[in-house]
Amino acid sequence: MVYKNIICPVCGAACDDVQVDLDTINRTIDVQNACKMGNAKFQEVVSSHRIVRPTIRENGKVKDVSWDEALEMAADILVKSRRPLFFLGSETSCEAQEVGLHIAEYLGGVADSNATICHGPTVMGIQESGMVGATAGQTKNRADMIVYWGVNALESMPRHMSRYGVFPRGYWTKRGRFDRTLITVDPRRTPTATASDLHLQINPNTDYELLSALFTILNGKEPHTSIEDITGIPISVMKQMVEMMKESNYVGIFVGLGVSSSYGKHRNIEMALNFVKEMNNYTKCNIGALRGHCNVAGFNQLASYLYGYPFGVDFMKGYPRYNPGETTTVDLLREKDVDAAFVMSADLVNHIPADSAKYLTEIPMICLDIAPCPSTTAADVVLPGVIDAMECDGTFYRLDNVPVHFEPFTDSPFPETKSNEETLKMLFEKVKAKKEA
Amino acid sequence: MQVLLNTGSTIDEGRLAKGGNKYSEDYKKECAVCWMCAADYATLGSPEKVAVTSRDGKHTVAVYPKVTEVMRSGQVFIPRSIWANVVVEPDTFSTGSPRYKGSPVIIEPTDEEVLSAEEVVLKLYMGGE
Ligand code: SF4
Repeated sequence: MVYKNIICPVCGAACDDVQVDLDTINRTIDVQNACKMGNAKFQEVVSSHRIVRPTIRENGKVKDVSWDEALEMAADILVKSRRPLFFLGSETSCEAQEVGLHIAEYLGGVADSNATICHGPTVMGIQESGMVGATAGQTKNRADMIVYWGVNALESMPRHMSRYGVFPRGYWTKRGRFDRTLITVDPRRTPTATASDLHLQINPNTDYELLSALFTILNGKEPHTSIEDITGIPISVMKQMVEMMKESNYVGIFVGLGVSSSYGKHRNIEMALNFVKEMNNYTKCNIGALRGHCNVAGFNQLASYLYGYPFGVDFMKGYPRYNPGETTTVDLLREKDVDAAFVMSADLVNHIPADSAKYLTEIPMICLDIAPCPSTTAADVVLPGVIDAMECDGTFYRLDNVPVHFEPFTDSPFPETKSNEETLKMLFEKVKAKKEA
Repeated sequence: MQVLLNTGSTIDEGRLAKGGNKYSEDYKKECAVCWMCAADYATLGSPEKVAVTSRDGKHTVAVYPKVTEVMRSGQVFIPRSIWANVVVEPDTFSTGSPRYKGSPVIIEPTDEEVLSAEEVVLKLYMGGE
């Protein structure tokens, strides 16, 4: 049967035009409109390596158990822990993340999500200086200049350029790519850089300096000549970039981890945001982050409106605290400041540095996921995951913080649970029963 | 040779990771790879495998070299994966986010075996369990 307008639950683009032909008898799935990455995830609905049974590790051996036994053991681990870490990953709905946040609050643990190892510094930069933002439709309809800074959009959000950024024909950009100028700032000559009109091949870790120089030029001053050696970019090219931006009608800047993960971190973002504010004295200009993980923006929204902070929310003192560098996943694990972990819909072991990953494999870990990965290998309890937007409904936030409700085209393969939200609710019941016994 | 490590997505890394194939040979071939320019590769003596070591010398991982024009001398790239993260600096500058971009690392020729993602977890992280 063919299903149309399905939302892709893979990256922050949340493409809503995917067409799926699911053959439940031969267990095949044909996917139209999704990119390579999206298509690969849709194949998980029928894949042979899908995690279908809960497992636990007992005396070093992994064995299949019932859902009830697995949830019992998971609840045991969490209740016995003095300070559990809840890593509520982004490849699931806000509804599931919300239950996770409540369990963390109930147990006095710490709740965090992919933002912490992704655009966390971007969020911190926004807290410092505010952001001139816009929805993706604004860029599509208005922007005649796009700047990708520290992001290889073609490979990290493959359809951003075709749906929102560069190629789509908008109301004031009727000729699509021909009506747009594209600038990329990246130390590598990536496919995105190759497709650009201007590529600034910046030296690594010098984003702050380049942004400061552009700011200086925008203010009509001459930057010091040493900036050329530091950034690897001639001042004449910087001037050219600023002029091109000023002459445009609408500039859409998209930043990636190249800005927020390199030296300078949130200060790089702060400088970029201030530059954008200043640019609005000359032309309309907005900035946004290319959020690689599906619902990573959702966790920030949810945690902010429920508890006041966007990530790294620590409930140890009985009220929410937020102190990046102390209450954030990589730091908590590196400093051995938590003693158990619940990891949902994210392969944490794969994505954090060795010191933190090693400690995570040493403490009791519960993992909820759909396919074998380093985190499930190291976990003491593995709970099979339901695939959001394919097997259950819920809410994601798109890269531009627009909430998107998604509907499934098939059902959860597990009679025991309809969604990750329901799995977490069952876990919460067990946790409460044990705690209050 | 001391270089700056950049990590990030490649389309096939995304395809294999999102498709649940992190334990496949294809994933290892795509991600256990250190991109560098021809000049740096020649300076290393054109080895078949390279060891990438974190600045503090605590962590080392063996990967395959890949020579490409997209890299500049003194800079290497490893697709975002467990191999890259073995040597990414865990310091977050009080932001929570480690230095996925611009970590100083040391690269040298090696005869060590290139481990699969599962072997990295079992041997390097779980102490051979
Ligand atoms: S760009 Fe992102 S949301 Fe769109 S199809 Fe590809 S993976 Fe899915």
